Amino acid sequence: MIYDMYGNTKEVTPYERMMAALNGEKADRVPVNFYPRWAALEYAGVTFKEAWDNPDLYVKAQIQAQERFQYDCVIDYDMMGPVEEAMGAKLKYPENDVPQIAEPLIKTKEDMKNVKWKLDPRKDGNMPKVLYVVRRLKEELIRRGRGTQHVPIITWGSCPSRTAACLTGFKEWFLIVARDPDWAVELMENALDGWLQMIIAAWEAGVDAVWINDPVSSRDCISRDHYEKLTQPYQRKFIEAIRRETGMKITFHPCGNWHDRMDLVYQNQADSYFLGPMDIEMCTRVAVETNEKGLSRVKSLNGNVGAATKSTTDGQTAVPYATTMKRGKPEDIEKEAKAVIETVEGADLRCILGTNCWDVKGSSFANRDAMVYAARKYGQYK
Amino acid sequence: MSIIEEIRKNVFDGDENNTVELVKKALDAGKTAKEILDEGLVAGLRDCGDGFEKGEKFIPEMLLSSESMKVAMVVLKPLLLEGSGGSGGAGKAVLATVEGDVHDIGLELVGTMLETAGFEVRNMGPDVPTEDIVAAVKEDKPHIVGLSALLSNTMDVMPDVIDALADAGLRDSVKIMVGGAPVKQDFADEIGADGWAYDAASAVPKAKELRAQLSD
Repeated sequence: MIYDMYGNTKEVTPYERMMAALNGEKADRVPVNFYPRWAALEYAGVTFKEAWDNPDLYVKAQIQAQERFQYDCVIDYDMMGPVEEAMGAKLKYPENDVPQIAEPLIKTKEDMKNVKWKLDPRKDGNMPKVLYVVRRLKEELIRRGRGTQHVPIITWGSCPSRTAACLTGFKEWFLIVARDPDWAVELMENALDGWLQMIIAAWEAGVDAVWINDPVSSRDCISRDHYEKLTQPYQRKFIEAIRRETGMKITFHPCGNWHDRMDLVYQNQADSYFLGPMDIEMCTRVAVETNEKGLSRVKSLNGNVGAATKSTTDGQTAVPYATTMKRGKPEDIEKEAKAVIETVEGADLRCILGTNCWDVKGSSFANRDAMVYAARKYGQYK
Repeated sequence: MSIIEEIRKNVFDGDENNTVELVKKALDAGKTAKEILDEGLVAGLRDCGDGFEKGEKFIPEMLLSSESMKVAMVVLKPLLLEGSGGSGGAGKAVLATVEGDVHDIGLELVGTMLETAGFEVRNMGPDVPTEDIVAAVKEDKPHIVGLSALLSNTMDVMPDVIDALADAGLRDSVKIMVGGAPVKQDFADEIGADGWAYDAASAVPKAKELRAQLSD
């Protein structure tokens, strides 16, 4: 469906644009996805807790903000919590932030027996609430598209290493990695299924793509050796299971600094990578190299406006995440977006413009507008 | 290799059991608690921190090193406190990792080091809501407030804490120190903190210096 939106350009729908990019294909221009949780809530003027307590309000916020900002997707609650809570973890719900684990569920190996590893997303805990939001988003998008879904719905999932770390507490997780790698493997093996079932159920409810992340295997956290031998195989196993069960396109978010291991990251076989604060040229070059060797299947890179520059990514995380989106000006967004588009598209990978981590709370509407504007200005395909 | 050098190496390697045994041996051999702390434990931990900076050590290894120091401090702490004239003599400190950040290795080390230097320390641990820090400062009336963050996105919470202390009318009664991997002097200056320290060992002289600037 092509419609004349701005007089001088023919634009396809966000659905067509985003799904094409995730598949490595060109639609009309580069799409935009900065995982718009806070953009939506701030535009609606509601806190996260208000939207969590009232799923219809969350749906309304997502739909209205997409219409206002014109980025290329909506997202469900997209957060850690429902699965871990259903497993038995106690969560705390801050007024205006996503839930956090109140206390570790697993302190000893014995505690493993008390965890509910096999979950039914249609019944357990708050997982049905997430599925309700997906169904409502789908209904509303189809209604507004007059029978056609014009905007894709994206869901989120937690990699086994992240889930394990949430259940044990992050500090204990790293000690387990150091002292008892076999236990770390057992934890990840058990942790995989809960989020897999959640993603399958979300797909059945109507989501169109999934992104998953792992903030505990970066260079900021563990060695390349630990990553290669312990956690990367479980990223890959998780990705393979999602692909086998749903066929959806999968985006992996290496959260933080992964400079020394991007070659291994790309081998986890996701379709797209939502890049953290890393040098875009390096990330693009390594993606092309691993693709050429037949080791990866990278089709698109999502990010990473607000990312680090070469001078600040020499192996340290000296760069505040999503700096530009939060603190920059619209002209900064435009300049960085241009560089990202030119680098990624110049390597014949598809670019999906975004920030370098989750949408940043408190970013100005002008900056969010600037990213979509930059995609229109610099991301048109001939 | 001297016994102090062995302690240093074992802390660096994160060997908890050996470190404790070596500390006991060093004391038996007549080494002072201060010497073992500064030249053995702290030096080993600093080596590990340097390794972290260079990308040769990571959080699991850092944790093992800090655990080695912690178990060794169980033996050393009573002796060090005797030497410092008892806990609290140097002043009071409230320490916390800011909300949203679950890292507390550095915080624990700073707490231990300040205690051994004679400070009475209330370590609030990781992920502490700003309002809880303000409440603790109201309640304890410390000289030093130490804020930690390991993540570049949570360091942005530090200025919120400073603002909240100012709003509560407590800013002038305390000296605020900030630290953590992404936090540097320029950031401390930018957000209006009173001090920054590179690591746990250098936090002690900085805390003493700031404490001396307060009238009571």
